[in-house]
Amino acid sequence: MNFSWMFGSSMEARHLLYAYVAVWAIQGGYAGWVLYQWLRAGRQSRTVSHTDNH
Amino acid sequence: MQRSRIFGPVGAVWFLLTLAAIVYATRLGLLLAPTEATMGNVARILYYHVPHSMLSLVFPYINFAASLFYLYWRRRDPLKALTADAVAIAGAEVTVVYGSICLLTGMLWGRVAWGIWWTWDARLTSMLLLWLLYVSYMMLRKLSATGQTHTLAAVLSVFAAIDVPIVYMSIRWWRTQHPAPVFGGGEDSGLDASMWPAFAWNIVAWALWGVLLLAMRYALERRRQEREQEAALQAIEASLEMAQ
Repeated sequence: MNFSWMFGSSMEARHLLYAYVAVWAIQGGYAGWVLYQWLRAGRQSRTVSHTDNH
Repeated sequence: MQRSRIFGPVGAVWFLLTLAAIVYATRLGLLLAPTEATMGNVARILYYHVPHSMLSLVFPYINFAASLFYLYWRRRDPLKALTADAVAIAGAEVTVVYGSICLLTGMLWGRVAWGIWWTWDARLTSMLLLWLLYVSYMMLRKLSATGQTHTLAAVLSVFAAIDVPIVYMSIRWWRTQHPAPVFGGGEDSGLDASMWPAFAWNIVAWALWGVLLLAMRYALERRRQEREQEAALQAIEASLEMAQ
């Protein structure tokens, strides 16, 4: 299978690549941010409980 | 009781199936679907642009319905209202994610197809307005410090939802630079049969992913709400101890 057209220097090839990469970056970035916030909120919650126990 | 995982076994299976569907759909769109006769390979942006655009008009209604439930329950049943509020913020954020992709991939495609990045036609402008409305919804929730923030945000979301049918109908009501509707646009509209598998798989895959994002964001908001409730309870207990 020939992939070379996807990585060409023409505007068509570049914009197609940018579009697909941007979608993965935005979707993955948002999912990663939610996961990071979830873990952070969990840590803060445990810290509050831990402090409270002392 | 705090949940230790953002989603359980069902969510994990959902995540793996969704990831497989996205990879398969991307392979179909990039490699296996036929090259479009007029625009060439750049038209493969369609397989990401159109599903994200369609879904960016679906997720606002999750925010809208949840906001209506919030407004209904906020005095009658505050715990249900909190649940609705968590669904509402999840719906708004996923709308912004899908709307951003719709606008960005549309601009990348438009630059090649039309020779311009942007034009103020009815479809593009109404879509940008929709995106701005949901960004302002998120900023209101983030920055406002009044006790009425969630109510104000819910009211804003009702107004924002009005823009959704305008975006959908814009290419039917007005002559626009944006192409005529692919679906439901009359006799000449529709996709070639050979393009359908890639298109359908991308719709399904990104819809599954959107639901997963909704569930994750909802779980995060519920955890934040629980944390706020814990902090409030501790503050009350501390003040009672000080008073004794």
